[in-house]
Amino acid sequence: MKKTKLFSLLACVLVAVMLFSACGTTSGETPKTDEQATPAPAETSGTEPENVTITYCNFNSSGGNEETLQKMVDAFQEEYPYITVEVETIGYDDYFTQMQTRVAGGTAPDCYELNIENFAAYANKGMLAEISGIDVSGLNETALNAFNVKGVQYGLPESFSNVVLIYNKDLFDQAGVAYPTADWTQDDLQAAAEAIRALGDDIFGIWQPITYNEFFKVVAQYGGALLNEDKTAFSINSPENIQAAQALVDRVLVSNVQPNTVQQGGMGDWDMFMSGRLGMIPTGIWAFQTFTENCDFDWDIAVEPGSTQKATHFFSNCVVLNPESKNQEAAATWLAWLTSSTRSAEIRLEAGWDLPALSDMDALASYLEITPPENREAVFESLNYLAMPPVIEDYALMSDIIGQYLAAAADGTMTVEDALNAAQADCEAQISLG
Amino acid sequence: MIHKKRLSAAAYYLLGTLIAVLATIPFLWMITTSLKARGALMSIPIEWIPKEPTLAAYVKVFSKFPFFRTIGNSLFISVTYTVITLISASMAAFAFAKLEFPRAGMLLKVFLATMMIPTQVTMIPLFVVMNKMQLINTYSSVILPSIFRPFAIFLLVQQMRTIPNDYLDAARIDGASTFRVYFRVALPLCRPTLATLSITTFMEAWNDYLWPLLMLTDKVKMTLPIALSTLNGQYSTEYNVLMAGSLISMVPIILVYIFAQKYFENGMMAGGIKG
Amino acid sequence: MKSEKSRGRRLNERSFFSASPFLTASLIGFAIFYFVPMVISVVISLTDWNGLDRLLAPGFMAEHFIGLDNYKAILTGTEFWKVLKNTLVYIVLYIPLMLMVSTAIAALLSRQRRGVGVFRVLYYIPVLTSWVASSLIWKSLLSPQYGAMNGILAIFGIEGPGWLTDEKWAMPAIVLVSVWKDMGFFGLILLSGMVGIDRTYYEAAEIDGAGPWTRFLKITLPLLTPSLFYVLIVSLINSFQLFPQIMIMTDGGPNGATQVMVERIYKYGFRYFRMGYASAFSWILFIIIMICTAVQMRGQKRWVNYDT
Repeated sequence: MKKTKLFSLLACVLVAVMLFSACGTTSGETPKTDEQATPAPAETSGTEPENVTITYCNFNSSGGNEETLQKMVDAFQEEYPYITVEVETIGYDDYFTQMQTRVAGGTAPDCYELNIENFAAYANKGMLAEISGIDVSGLNETALNAFNVKGVQYGLPESFSNVVLIYNKDLFDQAGVAYPTADWTQDDLQAAAEAIRALGDDIFGIWQPITYNEFFKVVAQYGGALLNEDKTAFSINSPENIQAAQALVDRVLVSNVQPNTVQQGGMGDWDMFMSGRLGMIPTGIWAFQTFTENCDFDWDIAVEPGSTQKATHFFSNCVVLNPESKNQEAAATWLAWLTSSTRSAEIRLEAGWDLPALSDMDALASYLEITPPENREAVFESLNYLAMPPVIEDYALMSDIIGQYLAAAADGTMTVEDALNAAQADCEAQISLG
Repeated sequence: MIHKKRLSAAAYYLLGTLIAVLATIPFLWMITTSLKARGALMSIPIEWIPKEPTLAAYVKVFSKFPFFRTIGNSLFISVTYTVITLISASMAAFAFAKLEFPRAGMLLKVFLATMMIPTQVTMIPLFVVMNKMQLINTYSSVILPSIFRPFAIFLLVQQMRTIPNDYLDAARIDGASTFRVYFRVALPLCRPTLATLSITTFMEAWNDYLWPLLMLTDKVKMTLPIALSTLNGQYSTEYNVLMAGSLISMVPIILVYIFAQKYFENGMMAGGIKG
Repeated sequence: MKSEKSRGRRLNERSFFSASPFLTASLIGFAIFYFVPMVISVVISLTDWNGLDRLLAPGFMAEHFIGLDNYKAILTGTEFWKVLKNTLVYIVLYIPLMLMVSTAIAALLSRQRRGVGVFRVLYYIPVLTSWVASSLIWKSLLSPQYGAMNGILAIFGIEGPGWLTDEKWAMPAIVLVSVWKDMGFFGLILLSGMVGIDRTYYEAAEIDGAGPWTRFLKITLPLLTPSLFYVLIVSLINSFQLFPQIMIMTDGGPNGATQVMVERIYKYGFRYFRMGYASAFSWILFIIIMICTAVQMRGQKRWVNYDT
């Protein structure tokens, strides 16, 4: 009795669902047939057996570069007419939520893009396929290694960005300080920052956000690290790290060459730099475009100063393969072309998007010709000092814990030492390093 | 007496305008931001009125994706979603409020309890269910959940409970079927609430974002909020375009709202005739 | 005795029979879109699932089952209690303010004066704006030195705080924005309750010489209680599930002052890959909301007036 009821219920559901799907597609489609804007779905290309269609999902082209990516796809399909690439672009904020849902639900696309934080989790949890059988020699080795887990290449670096010291030439001139050079140390930076701070109440020397992302790089400049060598234990509260954090915090609380939250007044660091009130800002090369458009003063860049050693940021997104994809070979071909072909690099540079992670810097010559900044070589020079983020499985959790305690140290509610001790304890309690 | 009336009218409009200003300042700022040339939401000092107003952001919204197709999808989904919700929820509410059946109270409580679960954790399970039913990438996957909307049921139950039973009994004695009592007596008496519900449901369906994003991966089926989300980049967001898009996407909801207002007027009339 | 009982049952069955056509659609929707995912979610809360492995694949339970460990970890840790406290602060500030403002709005809008239609549209604009757009706008309005909020306060000689950067002010700022966003919605719900009130009551009261304030207290408020009850329950549930404005405006900061339940659940589930933990967290949240709602349901007989 109960069973029949259940069955009839299920039958009802099925009928309802089918009715709705039918009505959904038909009435949904009718108003659109008269529009020329919608191209016919590419399913027709499946008629010939050797033709394959792959889906590529990405976030990097959102916010302005969808057309650039489409150009790349078109160029790729000229070379490989039998592979059709269907692109899905999703905004950055929700990309990872939806990708995780699709992966867990078993409907991940053939290939997709990940940032470095999520890459570690996906790779360690066995969600990615090894990328093999393709030529990756053209790719930058450091970048390539970032996506190699225990000897297996799970991802290809798609593009990279790094951080340089951007400075306001006019403020340096006013303060009578020499411009930063590649052999500057933190002491030179501090002296210059103080001279610029003296120019006025509203003018600040530097703004280096006291956040996790800055922190892991600055500790490297002081010879420290967040993890021990073989990534089996945290070393967040090591003496070098405390020294590094102290230097950052003192700029706000002691010498005040960097604005505190009240002095920031809700302004972002870029906005403050663009308004001409900030002498120096260590920030990503993706700021060039915006600064060129919005700064009415002269500015240039330099390699970031180090302390005991130099260390610079490296940010890279990667592209990965779904192990359950039926078209892994075609997908790998597309990924290799996207990341390492000259044609794709050209399109990327033309659009001023970001830098392809190629080993051969000559391919990037056209990039150097654009000014400002005049000292564009500093972008490549910085690559000699790359500090890789300490990629572990629980990367996001670690970075949030550390970030939270750094914020407490930065506004003076905790001493630097207490904050880092607490961060160390929290990370040890919540994260097991395998 | 007349003097007093004038005073109260003045107080009325003063208070009314004050709240109206508070409600619309952010909205006005959205408009000015959308007219700015670059994505400077945070420009300092604030430009209340853009120095060089431009429609570039609007042009960009229209060129960014097949705009009319996207709007069409959103309209189709929101309208069907709202209609189904109104029908299904009002029927259930009628049963709960006016038909006595065993365990009604219990069942209503179970229904209401579903409102208390954060959707963030049922999202992946629901995704799996949808996948099993092969509904991913169909409009149905976004529309079908409208057949059970606890918020709507609850609101209508509250409203239907205030309908005097005499009204319904009178109709029954005249020989009307239960369905007729529901359709001819109970529903018309809930008109203001149904109007409210149609606005809020339409709006929710129209603005709903994460679920359609998970379900409708096919570009052709994309809704407006999904399309707008692609303005959000890893390092930068084009605020002016985002605001222009948000404003455009508000137009249909405001129209629906103005249309539904008529029913408030009617509701007031009905209130006057009663008794 | 026996026949009495069976007769009663038959009557009941008949009424369930008459009620069932009205309930079928909702029941099916409930089963598929809520009940099944809920059951799966309870199962997940008993595992250490990371939210990436294929859900419920063969061997899933054997690999991931950890019993009640998640629940134990949450209830014995300090984070949960801190987050619960933050949520309660929000509720205590938000609900009274929102009830007052939205009742005032409903009262304003229920008058049949010239131009009330314009007000009705304007008041509803915040509701119609998406959370993403309005949070971004508010974030810049509330910026301490250059935002409009402190600019206006400065006119009155008040130095405004760093709304979203000061630990003391971040939650009140979130409350203000939430009231701004929700007042039109709840105002409208109350309005539809108000226009449903029988006119004759007012006419009778007016003849008795009752002033507008007395009429509001003695007639409007009591007869509005079913709508108020709805608003109270729904706004309480919404408060516990506070989320999008937090993510965009403060992301849980400053110093964890605006970390709330769903923000934690989302981060554990989708940022830290601890879906089992996140699920357990949300079932604890569910139980808390349930208790609060049950208390209100119990109490409704004392003050809610159904005109039957």
